[in-house]
Amino acid sequence: MKGGWFKVYALAYLLFLYAPIIILPMFAFNDATVIAFPLSGFSTRWFDEMMQAPALRIALKNSLIIAVSAAVISTTLGIFAARATTRYRFPAKAGIMGLIMLPLVLPEIIVAVSLLVVLLGLGVNLSIFTVILGHVLICTPFTIAILSSAFQSLDQSLEEAAYDLGESGPSTFRLIILPLVMPGIISSLLISFTISLDEFIIAFFLAGTEPTLPVYIFSQFRFPSSVPVIMALGTVLVCLSILLLTIAEYFRRRGIAKSGGKDTGGFL
Amino acid sequence: MIAFQDVHKYYGDYHALRGITATIRAGEFFSLLGPSGCGKTTLLRTIAGFEGISSGAVMIDGKNMAGVPANKRPTNMVFQSYAIFPHLTVAENVGFGLRRAGLSKDEMAKRVGDALEMVGLAGYGARAAHALSGGQRQRVALARALILKPKVLLLDEPLSALDKKMREQMQVELIRLQRQVGITFILVTHDQEEALVMSDRIAVMFEGEIAQLADPETLYRRPSSRRVADFIGTMNFLPAKILSEAGGKIEVEAEGFGRATVEADQAPGAASGDGAAVGFRPETLTILFEGQQATDREATAVIEEVVYFGDMTYYDVRLDGAKTSTRISMRNVFGRPVLEIGAKTRISWSPGALVLFR
Ligand SMILES: Nc1ncnc2c1ncn2[C@@H]1O[C@H](COP(=O)(O)OP(=O)(O)O)[C@@H](O)[C@H]1O
Ligand SMILES: [Mg+2]
Repeated sequence: MKGGWFKVYALAYLLFLYAPIIILPMFAFNDATVIAFPLSGFSTRWFDEMMQAPALRIALKNSLIIAVSAAVISTTLGIFAARATTRYRFPAKAGIMGLIMLPLVLPEIIVAVSLLVVLLGLGVNLSIFTVILGHVLICTPFTIAILSSAFQSLDQSLEEAAYDLGESGPSTFRLIILPLVMPGIISSLLISFTISLDEFIIAFFLAGTEPTLPVYIFSQFRFPSSVPVIMALGTVLVCLSILLLTIAEYFRRRGIAKSGGKDTGGFL
Repeated sequence: MIAFQDVHKYYGDYHALRGITATIRAGEFFSLLGPSGCGKTTLLRTIAGFEGISSGAVMIDGKNMAGVPANKRPTNMVFQSYAIFPHLTVAENVGFGLRRAGLSKDEMAKRVGDALEMVGLAGYGARAAHALSGGQRQRVALARALILKPKVLLLDEPLSALDKKMREQMQVELIRLQRQVGITFILVTHDQEEALVMSDRIAVMFEGEIAQLADPETLYRRPSSRRVADFIGTMNFLPAKILSEAGGKIEVEAEGFGRATVEADQAPGAASGDGAAVGFRPETLTILFEGQQATDREATAVIEEVVYFGDMTYYDVRLDGAKTSTRISMRNVFGRPVLEIGAKTRISWSPGALVLFR
């Protein structure tokens, strides 16, 4: 029976990956404080409670500020870097790009601890801004990867043609390059936003007295009574993440199709 | 009109243009012809302003273009990839260069419509540019460049991406278009036939240098070197010895031909290491059939290969006394048999057929 065992393997694999996530909405809608089977009935009260917790709201606000800032900053940096690597030759290009991409493979705990040491050494107070800094650091490699793929599929003669037809450098960028890489930019914004929103370790080390949502969630697990609320929150976050990643991938693919290039990468 | 004055261009250590000096006249159809990598595109891009030069000068209408950026030069370019903006419509592509002219909406639509009609795409304005075929993209690229009425239109291998039939059709259309608008066209191509068909004058380039600049007929009949002769069409070569030179006539002793006379103006070539040789095109030799009148320009030969082409037959013949074979092309005349391999035959050559390379 060819492929039979493969199917079993694939199924087991998917179950292993996603079963824990299924648990989230199950208990989020369960009418009991204790996280245990059997389920005792349908309820949305955890969602109501979630909406009312003030600390949660502050954490959510912090997280959103951080995620939006990190997304915008790292995407902006990503645009410059992707443009530079795909258009220009400069000395030690491979080395420089390697260094920029390094946080992709460095253990986050190392990044977090070293950032903390440096920031404390410089006498910087821990706050939302230090978290943004850390998140920009880990998001930038992702934005560069996405944007490089967008810039790479852009035919250089398109720029030259616009220039040839009388446009200046900046107007060529605005009229030709930007619209053609826009899907890549949107996709980069969404992915870095998602990464930042999820991120725990760096936020935990650098947040000081301004916890982000993941840090808040972690702290709440000490109180059994608030676990169902966390389940509800988790359900919302999972749905949001899936939605954002889907939109991001949609834009990335559409961008490649539009400029007539071949799909050479991507995360989904 | 356009003048290159001792233009040199280096890419790092690589010497891509090696002292280009040439003048391109206003209103002519000019081609840069040469094998891949000889620097044609580089030279074209120095006119457009995409490529700086290391020394020398590029002049347009007597004005030195040094320091004039591409967007301020009176040139427009049709790119090899056509570079059609994929996110715009056909009309937006064609009207792109007029954006800053401050035209009214009606005026703009009219100019774009005229340009599209000129290239045979009337009514295509609203189409999405990325949905066009190769030939249509080419036309959009032409309309987009010509709408600005540049002094010079630069075309980088514009036909190389098209299939044979489309290519031949576009060749004719480009010639028509050039006559109609009267703008100087500078075409880059590696296809000698294309250059011969389309151009008023051609510059043949090898390794960053212009080997010969002439009209198509001169290039074909009096190539200045064996290399140019080899690149343009087919040319046969046989070793020769110069016997005497007097009164505009050169007496030579050539393998296969015996003693022959070459007009001095048929001996353009500079000295080469290979020793002297006579060159001749396949159609300048004629096979004499039974009963045909002999001339004083006659030799004997053996047929070694026959290639039948319908309207033409190519014969590879070995002239008596020659070490290599020679290609002759004969128009097939109804009722005349195609000769067989191994047949002995007499051949004759037309006056002025022989070009002397020394
Ligand atoms: N940007 C560049 N950097 C380095 N070398 C180049 C560059 N552009 C062209 N060359 C080199 O210059 C030579 C001439 O190139 P090009 O003008 O494109 O030739 P052609 O159009 O005749 O095929 C080639 O050997 C090519 O490798
Ligand atoms: Mg080229």
